[in-house]
Amino acid sequence: MAMFTIIRAVFGYLLLIFVLRISGRRPGKQLSPFDYVIVFYIGGITLTGIVGPEASLTNAFCQIMTVAMCHCCLAWLRARYAWASRVIDGTPLVLMSNGQWRTQSLSNMRLQDDDVMDSARSFGTRNLASIRMAVLEPVGEITIIPREERSK
Amino acid sequence: MSASPITKRVQDDVPRYNDEVAVGEDLEFQRRWWKFENAVWILFGIIIVCDVLGVFGRGWLARAKATTRDHAVVLSYERMERAFTPAILDLEIGQNAIRNGQVTVYVSGSVVKELGAARISPQPMTSTIGSSGYTYVFPVTSSPGTIQIALSPPSAGLRHFRVQVAGSEPIDASVLVFP
Repeated sequence: MAMFTIIRAVFGYLLLIFVLRISGRRPGKQLSPFDYVIVFYIGGITLTGIVGPEASLTNAFCQIMTVAMCHCCLAWLRARYAWASRVIDGTPLVLMSNGQWRTQSLSNMRLQDDDVMDSARSFGTRNLASIRMAVLEPVGEITIIPREERSK
Repeated sequence: MSASPITKRVQDDVPRYNDEVAVGEDLEFQRRWWKFENAVWILFGIIIVCDVLGVFGRGWLARAKATTRDHAVVLSYERMERAFTPAILDLEIGQNAIRNGQVTVYVSGSVVKELGAARISPQPMTSTIGSSGYTYVFPVTSSPGTIQIALSPPSAGLRHFRVQVAGSEPIDASVLVFP
């Protein structure tokens, strides 16, 4: 039935969003090989179930339209309601502030101090002592706010 | 007519950290989310264990057997199956079911329509279409012999079917097909 192809597409899209949201944010501006495996492997497995035996162009067309519509709806929800944005994307998390690690945030986000230092280097910060604040953004990037140099 | 852009005054309402940096952190929500995440990981674990055990088909818990009282037929099937996934329905024919070197097997129409019978092995001598099912006649040289019906359910749902060998009581069974 045509309706089931649409339901499968919606289910697949929401399942992927949910699983990737639960899997946690990985730090870094670009996808690492680790992330590629997750994205392509989960995507590939989902595809077989979503398309099923119906490999027609009509089916692909309708499912692509359905996924685009779902994506648009979620984007609208995010923009319209703050709670939806928090649920779909999460909120920024302070990982380090004024020389103090937020250990609960680090361990629950499965991050280490090395991950913060990786990002710090890309911001031109040379060591952890030069960091005033490190924030894990909803997209997974770690933003570094360096300590302001004291005026001489 | 000038097309002036629609504007709105900027409101600095992003929550600040230590009254300094506008981070927008919501630690209370995040703590609730972490609890939810932990519950979901436990649920994922339970689902995987159930899958391995066969709760969703293709495993130990899914296997089922039904026998007639005279042991003429032993039906082996899976209580739980998955849509578009091959499964086998085995009919083990005992000596009591053989009449004149033949065995006559009736299967309800749901085996073909709802459970997607794709192939029957060995090939029957004759196949007859009835109002509610199909009757097959197989030559038998020795017992016990096995008839296999390859299934591939086309859709999800609870499916009921009936199998009967001539001269014996029918076996009624149900299969839950997962999407």
